[in-house]
Amino acid sequence: MALISLMIAIPLIGAIITFLTRTRQQARAIALISSGISLIISLFLLSRFSSSISAPQFLESTQWIASLGVNLKFGVDGIGLPLVLLSNIVIPLTVVFAWGETKQANQFYGLILLEQVGVLGVFTSLDFFVFYIFWEIVLIPMYFLISLWGGPRKDYSAIKFFIYTHVASLVMLLAIFTLYFMAPPVDPFTGQRTFDMFYLLNSYQIIASPILKDAIFLALLFGFIVKMPAVPFHTWLPDAHVEAPTAGSVILAALLLKMGGYGLFRIILPILPFSGSPGKLITLMAIIAILSILWGTFLALAQRDLKKMVAYSSISHMGYVMLGAAALIPLSVSGAMFQMFSHGLITCVLFMSCGVIQHSAGTRIIGNLGGIAKHMPKLAFLMMAGFLASLGLPAMSGFVAEFLVLVNSYITLPTFVILALFGIVFTAGYHLWAMQRAVFGTYNEKLGHIHDGAGYEIAAMAILVLLIIFFGLNPSPVLNMMTTNANQLVALAAGLKGVIT
Amino acid sequence: MFSDYAALIVLLPVIGFVLTLFLGKKLPSGGAYIPIAAILGSFIISLGIFLEIYPDKVIQQSWNWFAGMNLGILIDPLAIVMLLMVSFVSLLIHIYAVGYMAHDPAKPRYFAETSLFTAAMLAVVLSDNVLQFFIAWEIVGLCSYLLIGFWYHKPAAAAAAKKAFLVTRVGDVLFLAGIVLLYVNMSQIIASHAFTLPQGNFILQFKSMFDAIPQIDPRQLTYITLLFFGGAVGKSGQFPLHGWLPDAMEGPTTVSALIHAATMVTAGVYLVARTFPMFVAAPDSLLVVAYIGGFTALFAATMGIVMNDIKRVLAYSTVSQLGYMMLALGTAGIAIGAKAVGISVFHLISHAFFKALLFLCAGSVIHAVGTNDIREMGGLFSKMKITAITMIIASLSLSGIGVPLIDLGIPVNIATSGFFSKDAIIEGAFEFGDKTGNFIPYIFAILAALLTSIYIFRLWFMTFSGTPRSEKHAHESPNVMTIPLIVLAALALLFGYSQTGFYNYLEKNFRLMNVFVPVHQEASPPSLIITLLPLIMGIAGLLISYAIYHRRMLDMSKLVSSQNPLYKLLIKRYYEPGLSADIIGVKITHGVAAQSGEFVDRKIIDGLIIDNVISNSLIKFGDVAKKIQTGVVQNYASIVLLGIGLLVILLMLGGA
Repeated sequence: MALISLMIAIPLIGAIITFLTRTRQQARAIALISSGISLIISLFLLSRFSSSISAPQFLESTQWIASLGVNLKFGVDGIGLPLVLLSNIVIPLTVVFAWGETKQANQFYGLILLEQVGVLGVFTSLDFFVFYIFWEIVLIPMYFLISLWGGPRKDYSAIKFFIYTHVASLVMLLAIFTLYFMAPPVDPFTGQRTFDMFYLLNSYQIIASPILKDAIFLALLFGFIVKMPAVPFHTWLPDAHVEAPTAGSVILAALLLKMGGYGLFRIILPILPFSGSPGKLITLMAIIAILSILWGTFLALAQRDLKKMVAYSSISHMGYVMLGAAALIPLSVSGAMFQMFSHGLITCVLFMSCGVIQHSAGTRIIGNLGGIAKHMPKLAFLMMAGFLASLGLPAMSGFVAEFLVLVNSYITLPTFVILALFGIVFTAGYHLWAMQRAVFGTYNEKLGHIHDGAGYEIAAMAILVLLIIFFGLNPSPVLNMMTTNANQLVALAAGLKGVIT
Repeated sequence: MFSDYAALIVLLPVIGFVLTLFLGKKLPSGGAYIPIAAILGSFIISLGIFLEIYPDKVIQQSWNWFAGMNLGILIDPLAIVMLLMVSFVSLLIHIYAVGYMAHDPAKPRYFAETSLFTAAMLAVVLSDNVLQFFIAWEIVGLCSYLLIGFWYHKPAAAAAAKKAFLVTRVGDVLFLAGIVLLYVNMSQIIASHAFTLPQGNFILQFKSMFDAIPQIDPRQLTYITLLFFGGAVGKSGQFPLHGWLPDAMEGPTTVSALIHAATMVTAGVYLVARTFPMFVAAPDSLLVVAYIGGFTALFAATMGIVMNDIKRVLAYSTVSQLGYMMLALGTAGIAIGAKAVGISVFHLISHAFFKALLFLCAGSVIHAVGTNDIREMGGLFSKMKITAITMIIASLSLSGIGVPLIDLGIPVNIATSGFFSKDAIIEGAFEFGDKTGNFIPYIFAILAALLTSIYIFRLWFMTFSGTPRSEKHAHESPNVMTIPLIVLAALALLFGYSQTGFYNYLEKNFRLMNVFVPVHQEASPPSLIITLLPLIMGIAGLLISYAIYHRRMLDMSKLVSSQNPLYKLLIKRYYEPGLSADIIGVKITHGVAAQSGEFVDRKIIDGLIIDNVISNSLIKFGDVAKKIQTGVVQNYASIVLLGIGLLVILLMLGGA
């Protein structure tokens, strides 16, 4: 049974129906139902998934463009399935959170569903061509979410977002083409080529020129780190977040950034050992990682806008993904994967908090808030939980991820881990400082009468907080499937540990 | 039988936390009886386990968790005495809080959080591995953050909560770095087959760590233990991370009592005691522990003398006493080995009793007069007899006063528990000096003993003697508050007599785990003057305070003025609050970050590259976008299709 394509097709059909609906009640109901069905399918996949196999499971393949060797090939493994699950958790909850949307509601929910289609496609397709199409599909609904529902500077931000990520995609596309044409034809007699992802990644090894190898590597890496985003290609993210509507920010931070991280594990790590100068490339990745961690933290300290602060914290947290990947130790790699999963959940709570505050108080500027816990106790409670998770409090999912990354990366990248540890105090610093000024203290009477979050908003956030605690206390199920794939990735790179400088 | 339910020691208060949080509003007293019942349950189980395992059994249970790490329970002599103390003192404080917090509308939140606080501390105590220890340790930090900021609408409370979390966080990061270093060393010696992890053991278990000590490079061991001690410095308010503890007074007084006696600050001392075999194997670290502890004991006591806030005096007293415990681990650890843990933890527990008592008495006084300032108190003795008498017992115990009949040939001393516990520490420091020729820690300790006695009796005389300096009509607190005072006072008087048994029991601690900690021969007993000097200091302090603050034999107005640089230095707390507000309190960092970070991001990265591209394209794009944004979705869909179509054409061309 083609479960994965079904899982992708249902939100697509849902999106089309949603666009055609006339009332917002219909639109949101259809959006919730179709994204929910997709969630149920992915839970079914999870129940049938074997964590001890590193090869993709539930494989399905349909020929699409025979002349080019493009197949609709889908499958999930320990790298993809957690992110599929994450997407299917986040999208329905985003719909629930945005239950009150009134402006062009049918289009709004439809675009959210299209995002679901896009990210699910990215996390499951095993054909480079199809992967790229989904990668691009994700961009377009997000562009419209920002430019139609965004804040005052939405045009600037939407275009900045588009240009940045589009340029990155194009560079990545060049690399994919190069791989496609450098790889030997699958059928030497007919000269038939293929876009099969594993085939192309394997044939990377036999490219003769080390310079070309490094160029391909860097082009792919560029495509992913812009998306993550990593310093110095990060400036699009805070702008996009500041202007994006809350639902857009949630999807952007929770899912779109993960596409970049996913690319690291799906594409970068398998070819890293065979690149021209792996030692230098690993060092480069580690430097980018540590820059992102520290620069993101540093800039988060500087922010006056709550949402922008959260945006910078995302950059810092995604730096851990890169660090764990670069360290090439089984548990650092699976810790990095877990960090993506965990950050996806945590960042939702943070952006949702910003959204509720903006909606209720009319501002997100930390200095203009103050003491809002008095009138928004439920929000304050959940926001506090989200902030604590984000600063890495144990018993919540973020700690497990960061602990695994730090502890295991020390084996190969000790200097970088020591630098990363410096960031931890400041990470706690900006989170708590923002809480102190915005949420606690005396109530700022200038805000007038403000009200607590709506029931559906609080419900969506509460579910996320429970999930964060659940995976913080019980990381094994998800972590085990990641570790199986991490072991396999690291086994490829076994010869590399001596190379690292 | 009780040992099968050891996990309930932690789980009961956790359940109490959840129930109180969600149901507390509907129950009488804000649901206070739920955590009281839960903690009583923890205490009963702990007591049952104690009776089962005394004198020479250890309970060890562990479960696989994730990535080769485990969850587990280790109850050895060290853990069980702590479990008993924590659950018992916390129980009394909870009962007292029923009266103290009676009029606070947010009672359910209060009792839920204190229940979790207790649970986390109990989890710290019975952890069998350092990761779980760290996790529980962080939850303790979280609860202190929530409770110090309990009255979050007060800006000072919100600021103090943040300071507490951040300053201890500095220590926590060091602790975490220590765990990282330990883990790496452990996995390296396992990978090189120098050390094998027995079946059923896990990498971060204390037992495995201790077994691996001989294989770990001594220099690495020194780093690891120093980093661990960094964590302890943060949590136990040792110099230079002591500043958060006096500020933590912004929370309710019962919270202060919990933090200072039963939970939180003792966790740091417990960490060093728990990993003591590693410290013994790294004598340099032990020396650092001794110096930091000794210095803190004296340093904090100097500030205790000038503070006017009743709780703040007690806070500096705690910092100082924790310094004594660290000093004991350091000096006695070097001089006499394994027994140091017993000496330190004995003082920890005796301190828990009298310090909880002091705070609860202070709470009772504050409850009665409505101020924290001792200059506005006075003459309360006749109005609050129970509070005054129990508090004088606590003060005598803190100053280590007793009648040393043994030295006169009579077999039993008549003395407070502080007399027994503090004497042993100071003697240990002397022994260290005797053996190494280094008397600096001893001098710190003996001077601190004098100052301790001065500040605590200053506090007592200012509060209870003389004439009332406030108009408010004070009265004794209700029974629910005074009964815990009486119980604690009894313990502060009597606990000391368990000294010999306690030392013997704890000395076995590491031997029961088959971990060898050397025991050095104690030197011949020191001369009578050395034995009696701590007591003499205590009595001298009492007399000085009596003369100045009761008999008013000295005019203090000259000394106590901002003209006096020494007084100014002390009352400004060595300028630590200002410094830490700037460094830790992110003021400077915020400014620097705002200036430089924004500049780099906005002007360099964006300004040079992106904005030009955008401003050019924005004009064109904007026109197109206006045309496109007609609200017709089909247009957008067709753009998507157009893009994909272009891609396919491109590929076709390439492929052909």
